Amino acid sequence: MAARPRLQADEAREALRDAMARLAAGDQSALEEIYRATRVKLFGITLRILGDRKEAEDALQDVYINLWQRADRYDPSRASPIAWLAAFARNRAIDRLRTGKVRGGAVPVEEAAPLADENPLADALLVDAEQTAQIHKCLGALDARTQGHIRAAFFEGKTYAQLAESADVPLGTMKSWIRRGLQRLRACLEASEAA
Amino acid sequence: MSGVEENTPEVTRDDPMIAAEWALGLLEGEELLAARGKYATDPDFAWRKEWWDDWFAPLSDAMPGAEPGEHVWDGIAARLAAQQENAPAANAAPAANVVALEAKVRRWQWVAGMSSMAAAVALALFAFAPARSPVEAPSQIAAAAPMVATVPIGETGLRLDVTYIPESERMVVAAIGLTPDGVHDHELWLVPKDGSPLQSLGVVKPGEVRSMTLSAAITAKLGEGAGLALTREPLGGKPAGKDAGPVVAKGSFTRV
Repeated sequence: MAARPRLQADEAREALRDAMARLAAGDQSALEEIYRATRVKLFGITLRILGDRKEAEDALQDVYINLWQRADRYDPSRASPIAWLAAFARNRAIDRLRTGKVRGGAVPVEEAAPLADENPLADALLVDAEQTAQIHKCLGALDARTQGHIRAAFFEGKTYAQLAESADVPLGTMKSWIRRGLQRLRACLEASEAA
Repeated sequence: MSGVEENTPEVTRDDPMIAAEWALGLLEGEELLAARGKYATDPDFAWRKEWWDDWFAPLSDAMPGAEPGEHVWDGIAARLAAQQENAPAANAAPAANVVALEAKVRRWQWVAGMSSMAAAVALALFAFAPARSPVEAPSQIAAAAPMVATVPIGETGLRLDVTYIPESERMVVAAIGLTPDGVHDHELWLVPKDGSPLQSLGVVKPGEVRSMTLSAAITAKLGEGAGLALTREPLGGKPAGKDAGPVVAKGSFTRV
């Protein structure tokens, strides 16, 4: 199932891009199309960050309502639509986590039930393969400790304070570790853009 | 754990770094508010935030997908339908409206220093303001100039952003960045300019942007120069039959 033909993925990406453009132009029916195509991936993200099914479903609802109101902000030349939506959903989930609504943390990966690969569009093929390889390469070039903390921030929505606590180091130390890591990450990513 | 860059000098925390921290989700409280404000007003900063978002996005492929309950779409559809009913003409000519509104919202930010969140909500609200034909939209928008009030909370740098849109009789209270202390609630009061009694606008929900439709009794008193007061109350708000708690913050409405 995993080896879906490339062509189909390209078509799916174009279909999604087209639906986003129609939504931005005020075509409400495009939202349902986008929902069908992306709900599994985006719910996976809000569930991972929020760690609570009810909260994650509320966040998901917010994501699509917001999308309807702000579809014109999506710039097709910037990123693949699914990548943009993924960032949008994660940002909304993090916002919820930071505004004191949710007490719980993220669910460990093994608890977020994986889903059989039977959903159109909701897969890795839609995200630019080269871009994916590059961020992994640049992250992989960091020392293991820094890499681990940056990943924990991304996947579990941890704050500096939480990361410092779990690593049992002073807050300032954690901040310098991560900032140095981000600085190197930026240099690596920018070098790849220039190449 | 050898070979870690222990000895490199301290990293400068410039704007691109703050954008990275925000994209990763590390910012909270006041810093998060400041970043949101900067995003609305500083194109370079906004560009850099989105640059990081784009780069980080593929990482989410490692998050397994999950199927949400069927009620999620039903809820979305219901909310769309409700808003659609209120604004049947909104889809007819969205482009012109949006451009005019965006320009307007930018001006509010200038005038009132609204947070980007409040501006976004205000922009969204216009989309479901009562029906108007595309032709008369611009003049109606001008006539229905919104009123805003900011209520700074002590020396914390935090504040409530209150936006009232006369045409829709709706008010938006944004309390982003505030966190509940678990023992108090804060209640918002309208202080009419004519000296008549204070009217409750309800308990503020920390960390939320709340939209409400106001009753005629309240909108009658809500004009330029009307004041707002925030009082500290037991959980649930002022108990009936008791005096309101101490005033912890004040603000007043201005038309923009």
